[in-house]
Amino acid sequence: MSEADSEGYAVQVSDLSRRFGDFIAVDRVSFGVPRGEIFGFLGANGAGKTTTIRMLCGLLMPSSGSGTVAGYDVIRDYEKIKLRIGYMSQKFSLYEDLTARENMEFYGGIYGLRPAGIRRRIGELLDSLEMGEQADKLVAGLPMGWKQRVALGAALIHDPEIVFLDEPTSGVDPASRRNFWLLIYRLADRGKTVFVTTHYMDEAEYCGRVSIMKSGRIAAIENPQRLKELHGASSMQEVFIKVLSEAEKG
Amino acid sequence: MRRILFVVQKEFRQIRRTRAYFALIFVAPFIQLLIMGSALTTEVKNVPMAVVDDDRSPLSREIVRAAAATASFDFLGAAASEKDATAMLDDGRARIAVLVPPHFERDVKDLRTPEVQILVDGVDGNSAGVALGYATAMLAQVQTRWAQSMAPPSPDQGAGTITMVPRMWYNANLDSKLNFVPGLVGILLVIVTTFLTAINLVREKEIGTLEQIMVTPLKGLQLIIGKIIPFTILGFAQLTIGLLAAGLVFGIWMKGSLLLLYFLTLVFCFSTLGLGIFVSTLAKTQQQAMFIAWFFMIFAMLLSGFFVPIENMPAGVRYLTYLNPLRYFILILREVYLKGTEFRFLWKEAAMMGAIGAVALVSATIRFQKRLK
Amino acid sequence: MNRILLSIFRKEITHILRDPQSLVMVLLMPLLMLFLYGYAITLDMKGIDTAIIDESRTPESRALARRLSTTNFFRIRARDLPLGGIEDLFKSRTARCVLVIPSDYAIRLMARGGAEVELIIDASDPNAAEFVDNYFGQVVAGQNASLAGGGRLLFSVSPRVFYNPDMRSADFFVPGLIAVILILISTLLTSIAIVREKESGTMEQILVSPIRPGQMILGKVLPYTAIGFVAGVLILTVGSLWFHVPIKGSLLLVLAMMLIYTISGISLGILVSTIAKTQAVAMLAAVTLTILPIIMMSGFIFPVSSMPKVFQWVSAAIPATYFLQIIRGIVLKGSTVLDLYRQAGILVGMDLLLIAASVRSFRARLE
Repeated sequence: MSEADSEGYAVQVSDLSRRFGDFIAVDRVSFGVPRGEIFGFLGANGAGKTTTIRMLCGLLMPSSGSGTVAGYDVIRDYEKIKLRIGYMSQKFSLYEDLTARENMEFYGGIYGLRPAGIRRRIGELLDSLEMGEQADKLVAGLPMGWKQRVALGAALIHDPEIVFLDEPTSGVDPASRRNFWLLIYRLADRGKTVFVTTHYMDEAEYCGRVSIMKSGRIAAIENPQRLKELHGASSMQEVFIKVLSEAEKG
Repeated sequence: MRRILFVVQKEFRQIRRTRAYFALIFVAPFIQLLIMGSALTTEVKNVPMAVVDDDRSPLSREIVRAAAATASFDFLGAAASEKDATAMLDDGRARIAVLVPPHFERDVKDLRTPEVQILVDGVDGNSAGVALGYATAMLAQVQTRWAQSMAPPSPDQGAGTITMVPRMWYNANLDSKLNFVPGLVGILLVIVTTFLTAINLVREKEIGTLEQIMVTPLKGLQLIIGKIIPFTILGFAQLTIGLLAAGLVFGIWMKGSLLLLYFLTLVFCFSTLGLGIFVSTLAKTQQQAMFIAWFFMIFAMLLSGFFVPIENMPAGVRYLTYLNPLRYFILILREVYLKGTEFRFLWKEAAMMGAIGAVALVSATIRFQKRLK
Repeated sequence: MNRILLSIFRKEITHILRDPQSLVMVLLMPLLMLFLYGYAITLDMKGIDTAIIDESRTPESRALARRLSTTNFFRIRARDLPLGGIEDLFKSRTARCVLVIPSDYAIRLMARGGAEVELIIDASDPNAAEFVDNYFGQVVAGQNASLAGGGRLLFSVSPRVFYNPDMRSADFFVPGLIAVILILISTLLTSIAIVREKESGTMEQILVSPIRPGQMILGKVLPYTAIGFVAGVLILTVGSLWFHVPIKGSLLLVLAMMLIYTISGISLGILVSTIAKTQAVAMLAAVTLTILPIIMMSGFIFPVSSMPKVFQWVSAAIPATYFLQIIRGIVLKGSTVLDLYRQAGILVGMDLLLIAASVRSFRARLE
């Protein structure tokens, strides 16, 4: 991977690693995500995707390597990163006993937005996420597809420039998955950088570039179309299998 | 800071949505306060007692009469023999028996100092000791009466008796309630504050919202304070209900300064909530947090001076009580409530609670890493 | 049917073993309580802080003061302060009582009516005040007796303490502690275990399978019964080996009764779990229903006979009350089933009631 300068890059990491005792979860990973890109992070479960994201979000300290997110150093300035990024975890991390609106109010507040600003943002988000009717229902009673949107709303409440989405569509029905990706496109259109992990291969096609992780290392990183050409595959599923088996041999 | 207020708002919304809390934080404690405040007493009363009179003389009958007349005893009557009395103790019908030996009156008059035995059920050592004391006192009174009638006092012996006049300050009727009600209020407060905060943070850990919060710029201390405030307010509410109950139901109204009481309650809540949050940072699951809190709470109760006076505890244990906020709070409740004690006599207790709370909070903040290493 | 039960049982055990810290705490805490409370903690008071105001200053008054200071009961902290200083003395907790000997003490003593002394007691702790009054009364009675009889006793009094000759608190507390711990553990653990499944949604999963609800509950409940039981046995063992608490009656009977009693705690736990939606609520409810009633109202520390009759009825509704009588009887008095059949019967009855209630509640919730 070439070392590009950090200007124009939303995320850039170089030889980023994370060890848990003897287990190397992330092994000298390097890549750069330019602003406005939808970057897909593929890999099987346990490949190191979530660990990488958590390092980028300032939740986990890297064991070695370096990187910047939104121009801030991942190791030293991780708290500063948090203002500029949004994060949506696999678990959706919502308060089930609060309404959608109350969840977003809370997160808006702790991001330091003023009440008027929060109200405005919630209005905007309810619109763009098409959640108007569900706003005042308890999250516990919402089906997965709606919970997913509330979680996204909470992640976007402070209008961050970079959004990290960790398996945002797992357990969600195909129609909702497709709608969700429409929302992601809209985010990218507005200039936001979206960093998505998924294990749905069809979603990989929606990304600008994808990287495939295996056992903590990046086995491939390229535009989906190019990947299919390179490996003579007709679907990302095939690409995935081919890349992984190559990585096995290599 | 405004961010803290948002945390407070969220917590309150969640609390409000849990209906059960209302019953558990206000109603049940209120009922318990009523019941226990009325029922609890360490007085030893109505002790079932029998007398074995193997002499049946005027003198021995005086002893029987004295026993029957003693208010602390529930006089069961005469037992036929020592064997009978022992059987009564064995199956719990009686807890104390007085044995007057045969030839008692004759031996007394012949100055042969006969022996009166008191059989007491020692299972509950404390009650037994007290009951024994009552019986001994009763017999001593009988003895003094006889001694005086048998040997009239000579002018130069100064044999008038001393009468002790007790004056009970702050609690003229020795009402147990005045002892227990403030203590119960304190105990109930501890239960609510410690438990609820202990599982609070862990719960967020378990459902994943804590991670979401860690990704925001919110500082650990802000989060902790934001969580403590609602529970402090709940604590105040509970205290107020307790005070009202004490006054309206038991007629015990505060003698000292209400402001001082609330201030010291604030300090107390600060310490228990701090400990609760600290526990929350230690535990990995709600169950663990609950156990630790429970552990702490039982000890806080037992070592608070509520059941057993702290002065009676062995030295090592007494030192442990210095770490127990409840110990100070119960003392403070009694002092301000019943004696109207001023702050200048209570600052040490306040300082200790404050210190405990501060240490707990600092430890919790340190433990609450926003980034895992 | 047994295989299903076994698999649930095994799953629960795995949960428990995966959380060794909790297990350690559950077993450690009773031991700690045992050690704390086993060591000669009595409600008797020693070294009561006292002040003496002697306005008489005669040999007679000094004799009384000396008698007071030479007993173990009282510790003289202050002498001859002005009467106005008593309030501060009490508020600063320097002394708990003040003996005031009036100026005419010696003269009045000579006369027929006798002399009066005042004992001002800080009765904010009426329990302690009672003791102070009692002890001081003994001191006065002693002084009176020596003044009157010229030192000779007409008859002697010798106490014989049954079952617990040294009136050691350990013998009293250890059985009580077993009662407290068994219920605490069984109710709390059971309610949390069941609600945890409810909360994580796995409960639905299980109910959808061919398992009968009864099997699931039984499978869940058995490990905690075992744990509670082990804790109880632990206390008993340490109590008898370390604190030399005798076990005069049948050990088998003790264990059988412990089992019956634990069942009441577990049924209560199940009942709580059917009503609570979250672990937090389950825990708070379990604690509220068990800790205070058992510690305060069952005769654990405060004698039931001293309570007003109305509240003795409340005690009668608590299983622990009967269990305490049973276990104290067997352990300390060597009682047999014949002596205790009434209490045992009531305990079994309560068990059946609680089980029926919890089963009904569980079924009702299922719909």
